[in-house]
Amino acid sequence: MAFAAPFRRRRDGTYAVRLNANVRTVLAAIADQVLPMVDSDDRATTRLFPPAYVEEGRGDEERAYRSLVDGALRGHHHRAFDTLISTAAADTVSAAQLDDWLSAVNSMRLVIGTRLDVSEGMEPPAPGDPDEPEYAVYELLGVVQASIVDALAAELPDEGSVEGAL
Amino acid sequence: MIDERTLRGAGLSRRAVTTRFSDVQTAPLEEVRTGEDTSTAPDRPWLVIVWNDPINLMSFVTFVFQKLFGYSKEKATRLMMDVHVKGRAVVSSGTRERAELDVYRLHEYGLWATMEQSG
Repeated sequence: MAFAAPFRRRRDGTYAVRLNANVRTVLAAIADQVLPMVDSDDRATTRLFPPAYVEEGRGDEERAYRSLVDGALRGHHHRAFDTLISTAAADTVSAAQLDDWLSAVNSMRLVIGTRLDVSEGMEPPAPGDPDEPEYAVYELLGVVQASIVDALAAELPDEGSVEGAL
Repeated sequence: MIDERTLRGAGLSRRAVTTRFSDVQTAPLEEVRTGEDTSTAPDRPWLVIVWNDPINLMSFVTFVFQKLFGYSKEKATRLMMDVHVKGRAVVSSGTRERAELDVYRLHEYGLWATMEQSG
């Protein structure tokens, strides 16, 4: 059985991107919508800035962590979203750019999933439900993300790496 | 977390975007990686915990564990399944500084990670 993998690694280490124009348009449009939400601290973006310390009595540590990382996290999301928006129409992306795609797509899923109040094993909205279009976008993002993970995970050694983190 | 098969049921594979599905494998018990910074060895190491959530894809969580910690695919999959089934799993441990760094890197990938001191 043959199929066209949406993201395929080339010998030179870049990735061929095979997505139709509609999917590309949706990715860029949603990224354009979600990025300002990250900056305005919209409540749907809480999953993008989760607490590190949740135990009682760790309020000081959590405040210190937040002041340390929030700027860097926001910068990370900006870079990932900017990459996706600027390369949404590209036929080729670098590995670093594909990693940014992965991060941005996941972030968009987290924001939209929060807005939809997604729960484990939840049924999709019924036809005509006002949430239906947003849910369709949520599912599309999941399919795109799964495809990116397939392509990038193929490059990781099954047996792991003694040196640890890449 | 979400299994990609539920995405397939939405009929999206008929569009240009297609997916493959990785197999979930079981693995023997292994030690989680501990921090190598022993310059200020704590009495009680800090544990990095990842929590289950209904949004993140199982394949994505496994990938992040492999990529950030260098775990084998088997171990990363087992940890992911622990998160999924038990609600949370310890993914690394070490000094407080190392744990904060690990939590931050997990937050960059959108995983729900926290840290607590063991014992």
